[in-house]
Amino acid sequence: MMRNKRLFILMIGLILFIAVMGFTLGRNRLTWPEKFINDALGTVQGALYRPVGAVAGFFGDLGRLSDVYNENKQLRQTVARYAQDQLKYNFIEAENERLKTELEFKEKQKQLYRYRFLIAQVIGNATNPLDRTIKIDLGARDGIQPRMAVTTTDGLVGLVSRVSEFTSTVEPITQINPESPKGVQIASTVFGKESESFGIIDSFDQQTGMLQMTKIDENDKMAPGDKVITSGLGNVFPRGLMIGTLMNRQVGDFGLTQKANVKPAADFDHLREVFVVVVPEVAGQ
Amino acid sequence: MKIKMNRAVMAGIVLLLLENGVVPWLVPVEWSGRLVPHLTFVLTVLVASFAGRHRAFLFGLGFGLIGDILYYGNLIGPYAFGMGLVGYAAGLMLERGIPTLASVLGATAAGSLALSTIVYMIYRLFRLTNWSYGYAFYWYMAPSLLLEILIALALYLPARRLLFKQPGSSGEESPL
Repeated sequence: MMRNKRLFILMIGLILFIAVMGFTLGRNRLTWPEKFINDALGTVQGALYRPVGAVAGFFGDLGRLSDVYNENKQLRQTVARYAQDQLKYNFIEAENERLKTELEFKEKQKQLYRYRFLIAQVIGNATNPLDRTIKIDLGARDGIQPRMAVTTTDGLVGLVSRVSEFTSTVEPITQINPESPKGVQIASTVFGKESESFGIIDSFDQQTGMLQMTKIDENDKMAPGDKVITSGLGNVFPRGLMIGTLMNRQVGDFGLTQKANVKPAADFDHLREVFVVVVPEVAGQ
Repeated sequence: MKIKMNRAVMAGIVLLLLENGVVPWLVPVEWSGRLVPHLTFVLTVLVASFAGRHRAFLFGLGFGLIGDILYYGNLIGPYAFGMGLVGYAAGLMLERGIPTLASVLGATAAGSLALSTIVYMIYRLFRLTNWSYGYAFYWYMAPSLLLEILIALALYLPARRLLFKQPGSSGEESPL
């Protein structure tokens, strides 16, 4: 009798868990208990992650002291040049601003492709190697919405997947998978040949550390060494964000189109600061 | 042995914060994504060995669920399910007799393998990963398992001293 009861509870538990997992699969919204846990623990975690990152960074910097000396020399020269340019720039900017208003640029055109970058601090890393999300310290309160793109100064990092009041979760592009129910794909093109190149990045190979680009036209002009950027088609990722470098190109699985390997520009490990890209809302959209 | 519940829960929360906030910084870049120790899992095994299977089940379930929600990537539940189950099973094995260091380390090793296998199976079931089991084992399961054994070794004595009441003894001189 006792054994049966236990078995029964185990079965119910199993069914319950499968139901929870199925239910939470591919869902974008968060319920309030989830938001509460995210905000409460996420905020505390930020207070831990950032100082530790700073200390780790300090020790990393100590090792590179000799580089810093050379870099400093170069920077001083650059500053000298910068001071000159600043004068020129101020003058030109003022003139540009004046000319723009004189031309009566429409608000819409002024805003187009002028993304706002919100600086976010990374406050934690997932410990699930199959699902490596990161957490940032901006949430709905700062205007973050699901599916906003996240980048570093080097390149595209990922997409905001879930948003709570004060924190949000970012899913890195190393997580994209053509079989996943979310089906995020990155419409991409090549810098300098934006109008004549197109490919879709839809998976990441952990073993080689490369993103896979597929559906490239045979007559496409992209070549190894080109800088791959987002094309903005498909309306998931805004246009013109750096993704990486095209490494090689070969005939695709069915022979009709070609595929390529792209080395991501961003470093996904030990992230400290990322930028969330806010696309200005265009009237009529 | 009786567990000091408030302290144990506090310790769990601290370990959870360390797990996601500090440990990633201590792991070198070449190993990030490969060395992913689950500190709350180690605590669950310690609870299982000192306080029995029911407490361990609740600890595993609770901290697994919090971890799942905090880093909600694709689905909620794999770690809650895995850690609850492994905690219960570890408690069932360790409850009889006095827990020794060797048996705790053994349970950590077996439990870690079981936990990562369960999570892997769930991701495989929902087609969220296309890694083969062998590759996943080589890539992160085995390295993390070894690290978790070391962490269990480090946490064993402090946990026994701080989180549990010795039955009827005044000092800490019970055999290892």
